[in-house]
Amino acid sequence: MTNKFSPSRRAVLAATAAAVPIVAIPLLKPARADGLEGIELQHYKPVFFDDAQWLFILAACDRLIPAEGRGPGALETNVPVFIDQQLHTGLGSDIYQQGPHQPDAPSTLGFQIPYAPQDVYRIGIKLTQQISQQQHGKPFEKLEAKDKDALLTALQKNGVDFAALGEAAMKPSQFFGQLLGDTKNGYLADPMYGGNKDMKAWVAIGFPGARAAYTEWVDQHNVKYPLGPVSLSGKRA
Amino acid sequence: MKKLTSLFASLALSLGALASAHAADQDLVTRGQYLARAGDCMACHSAAGKPSFSGGLAIDSGHGIIYSTNITPDKEHGIGNYSEAQFAAAVRHGVRADGTQLYPAMPYPSYAKVSDEDIHALYAYFMQGVKPVATTPPASSMSFPFNLRWGMKLWNVFFANDKPFKEQDGWSAEIKRGAYLVEGLGHCGSCHTPRGFAMNEKASDSSQAQFLSGGDLNGWAVPSLRGMPHWSAQDIVDYLQTGRNKTASVAGEMSLVVEHSTAHLKPEDLQAIAVYLKTLSPVVASKSASVTPQGADATAKKLTAAKNLSLGERLYLDNCAACHFVNGRGAPGIFPALDGATVVNADNPSALLHVILAGARTPSTEKAPSILVMPGFAHRLSDKEAAELASFVRQGWGNQAGAVSESEVSRMRAGIAKHGS
Amino acid sequence: MPNITNDDVDVVIVGLGWAGSIMAIELAQAGLKVRALERGPDRPPEDFAYPKPADQYGYATRNKVFATPRDAALTVRYNTAQQALPTRKWGAFAPGTGVGGSGLHWTAVLIRATPTDLKLKTYADQAYRHSNLDPEMRIKDFPFTWNEIEPHYDFFDKVCGLSGNTGNLRGQIQPGGDPFEGPRSNPYPLPPLHDTYNSSLFADVARKLGYHPFPNPSANVSTAWTNPYGAQIAPCNYCGFCSKYPCLNYSKASPQTTILDVVKRMPNFDYKVNANVIRVDLHADKKTARGVTYIDENKKEVFQPAKIVILSSFQFANVRLMLLSGIGKPYDPITETGVIGRNYAFLSNGGATLFFKDKNFNSFATAGATGEMFNDISPGNFDDGIKLGFIGGAKIHSSQASGAPIGTALPPGTPSWGKGWKEGMIDWYDHSMKISITTTCMSYRGHFLDLDPNYRDPWGQPLLRMTFDWRQNELKLQRYLRDIVLKISKELNPDHLSEGFLGLDSHWDITKYVSTHNVGGAIMGDSPRDSALNKYLQSWDVHNVFVPGGNAFPQNFQANPTATIGAITLMAAQAIKTQYLKNPGPLVQA
Repeated sequence: MTNKFSPSRRAVLAATAAAVPIVAIPLLKPARADGLEGIELQHYKPVFFDDAQWLFILAACDRLIPAEGRGPGALETNVPVFIDQQLHTGLGSDIYQQGPHQPDAPSTLGFQIPYAPQDVYRIGIKLTQQISQQQHGKPFEKLEAKDKDALLTALQKNGVDFAALGEAAMKPSQFFGQLLGDTKNGYLADPMYGGNKDMKAWVAIGFPGARAAYTEWVDQHNVKYPLGPVSLSGKRA
Repeated sequence: MKKLTSLFASLALSLGALASAHAADQDLVTRGQYLARAGDCMACHSAAGKPSFSGGLAIDSGHGIIYSTNITPDKEHGIGNYSEAQFAAAVRHGVRADGTQLYPAMPYPSYAKVSDEDIHALYAYFMQGVKPVATTPPASSMSFPFNLRWGMKLWNVFFANDKPFKEQDGWSAEIKRGAYLVEGLGHCGSCHTPRGFAMNEKASDSSQAQFLSGGDLNGWAVPSLRGMPHWSAQDIVDYLQTGRNKTASVAGEMSLVVEHSTAHLKPEDLQAIAVYLKTLSPVVASKSASVTPQGADATAKKLTAAKNLSLGERLYLDNCAACHFVNGRGAPGIFPALDGATVVNADNPSALLHVILAGARTPSTEKAPSILVMPGFAHRLSDKEAAELASFVRQGWGNQAGAVSESEVSRMRAGIAKHGS
Repeated sequence: MPNITNDDVDVVIVGLGWAGSIMAIELAQAGLKVRALERGPDRPPEDFAYPKPADQYGYATRNKVFATPRDAALTVRYNTAQQALPTRKWGAFAPGTGVGGSGLHWTAVLIRATPTDLKLKTYADQAYRHSNLDPEMRIKDFPFTWNEIEPHYDFFDKVCGLSGNTGNLRGQIQPGGDPFEGPRSNPYPLPPLHDTYNSSLFADVARKLGYHPFPNPSANVSTAWTNPYGAQIAPCNYCGFCSKYPCLNYSKASPQTTILDVVKRMPNFDYKVNANVIRVDLHADKKTARGVTYIDENKKEVFQPAKIVILSSFQFANVRLMLLSGIGKPYDPITETGVIGRNYAFLSNGGATLFFKDKNFNSFATAGATGEMFNDISPGNFDDGIKLGFIGGAKIHSSQASGAPIGTALPPGTPSWGKGWKEGMIDWYDHSMKISITTTCMSYRGHFLDLDPNYRDPWGQPLLRMTFDWRQNELKLQRYLRDIVLKISKELNPDHLSEGFLGLDSHWDITKYVSTHNVGGAIMGDSPRDSALNKYLQSWDVHNVFVPGGNAFPQNFQANPTATIGAITLMAAQAIKTQYLKNPGPLVQA
């Protein structure tokens, strides 16, 4: 494995914030998995999100799994690429969508809103940006970190109100839940899906990836496993 | 009433005679079908998607494409008009009814050893037991000068051995049976005997030291069958019957031979073949003196500890250990052993590289119906990585064979792309 | 009217999972012309060649080899006063699809019911004669004896290469096994899988506290095995991608590894994929079926004539097909008449997660069935239930079905996102183990299946409606089990502990995965008055229709259902071969 230049998180955000519309340097075909592992985030042009939504996603992921502290953050591991790709390649196509819908059903009866994940993001981002403007006069991505965190927390706990903005079906916590779930999935999935770049998340936590061969380890109780991960494509870390 | 009874009686008698004649006929056809399995006629004369024995299989001779012929009893498109003598001439001497020479892609030099009795049964099968098919396969297109069939006459003079089967001194009946099957219908020498510059087999019977001493098939190093010192007779029988024995698993062209031919042979015939092969003096394998095996314990320990691994060792854990395990012993009858395997220790690493890149698949046979698939790793290993991995395996545990170069892997990868996996 | 009619067959099998594959090979080997129709895709070994299945996101998060709710949803409500809502996403259970069905990707715990489980009503009538069990409870005996079913359990154990320690060999209790299991005619075919660290810690404490732990009986096979059909299973390599994943090295017993390569060699067997059976077609007198109708991959309606129809499409799909086809009278919970949809049951689970800063569990090195369990808390083997007024029990176990990182449990108080979450993952991934319960579940008058009046599938047919919730019996059982689990956990002295058990006021939360051990709805029994099938899984109403599957269980025991489904299917196949073919008609007089 050669060491690839990893742009700092700030450089990525700065580059993407400044370049509107985003300058696209080599466009990689999104549908082919093997193309995704080599992507540099600052050069990636999203295929599902529009430019404005993309700025939100970068900023939100950057707070959900930040760079500060031990371990890689969501931007360093290309989590936004994962989310963009998943939404573009049919995430949610397996949901039963026939009506009538009953959005106010008790949560123990499961997902009952009339939206595919693509709608959840579209509506959730739009409304969150509206709230950010209402509360701070700025879009989400321009807020201070603590204000971003506060707004994300409010989404998570339904401390803000989508219904007041005309969204009858979806609660903020549902949008937040989708976003957080996809962020964690992108962080921890095999790199072939576009996230977990260079298996950095796996290296940080000590998961051996797709090796899937441990006959000689099952009897070694309480011995720390020493070997780094391998990805489905065969890359080593 | 009496007249009717006697009429019925004589009818019954002649029907009975017809029936038993028919039964004898049917026995002959069944025997011929069995011998066609032994000769594996369908390997070339049946093509995927086409009716059995109607030909049309493209065989890349290295000098152009040979298409197998229609050997169904269709009178216009097949061999329906052949007399038994013409059938015998084609099978044993490579001469068609119209006098043209067949290319020795048809292994007539081996089939020269087939007895009259067996030719008779084969003829009965192909005339009565096979459905006629009214299609003519494409004509072969060999490059100059191989397209000049009269040249085959010359080739035959110099290179074809059309002597009948000859029993050697000291053979038991069982060994004789095994030798007859191997030298003749089995035509094992077609792949397992080395060939000369004119593509002739360098030996054709058990009296010659080079017989079955190993060959090359489109870049695949074919092992020697002489003596088979690492396998018992039972191992040989198991392998021929199922494509797997306690340490090995079939790969490459031999998979089809097992599936279509040897898996259908009677246990006593397989036993005879095994016993015969073990009488042949083994080829002395040239061990790579410069290679010191890592040692079974040392390799298993190093892989288990998973520290300070060489690239080859790391690749082994990332790709191979899931089935072949850190002791390189696989699982009996299912995952072949790598420690001590012929294909791993062969001087020529081509077969090993082919399996690493393109995988292998056991045939489904009566005695062992499971289809077990080893995936190919071409998409997961660069040429350099495959070379490191193969080199590691070839000196891991007790193995003692030389390292493999990156260019050998590139060549093999290109060859697979050209010929198909 | 279907546009196309296929050639006639002796047997048509609807759904080529475990039950369908067993029926296919048993009946094809008897010489019958057999055709299987499978709704989902083919699943050949190349699709799961190493390392493809080592993909948590694809298989376990995106449910790659499962049916989709879009195609296979049900509707759910807690009681008849509510409107049922669709399972728009899978949650508590997730059905499989495709050749092999759920048998392709199951967890491979292969464990029998006990003799008491099979005669639970007889047991309860005696043991609880002074107790007040829920008067709505409707438990029943299975309509066969232990001695009748045992040879079939034994055969299926061998088909799957069952690996573990024998507990009761012909009445003699053996060390190391389950002393509470029913007597076996033969020992386990293969030795157990190796214990992981968590299981050995758990087993030591359990033993110390007086329980009788033993290795989970496993159809992840421990050494190379050739089964009675001649199929080969390889030794498990503890790859850590088992439950919800197809096996990447031939070591999980599945229809693929144990049966299909064998039956596919037979010229009298064939199968079609992407063939969605929409109904069983009956003759005018409704006493026999004449075949089935399916939608093929070109969306054409096709009629498959057959002399015998096997419904083996999974528990609730079987029940739905019977309702859609008019086989048997639909159940009415108010009058308690009718049988199709009756006695539906599920199961519950729960447990504790224990966190240890300084222990490395290597949780990724595991098979699906790796683990230790004890059955001391099972009907007939402990008295507390009688004292406390609940019937039932649970497997109490420490298993480790997968160590892949999405969904890693973190200590209570860890933030769900941000730096705290990230560092929590680094500090606590692979430093936790679980102690879990898998419980029985009784059946009740008001828990049943029927056809939904509001929602339809993509083929225009009504969804199956499930009316189910927790009742006090199961919730009291949960609280009781909680005490045991916490006691064991305390002995292990973890740095942190989190727990998840049902409370006495809990409703069924369909968003949390439990297990796909849905049972009942078309149960076997002694009488057509209150069961849909006789002991040979033959419909009381339509004698050439057999319905093998979990639908046949009158309530759920704590053992995983597959072993019993395999056994009752084998018993039914034998009855078809030895009795039905000679004399087509009802095999049991009502």
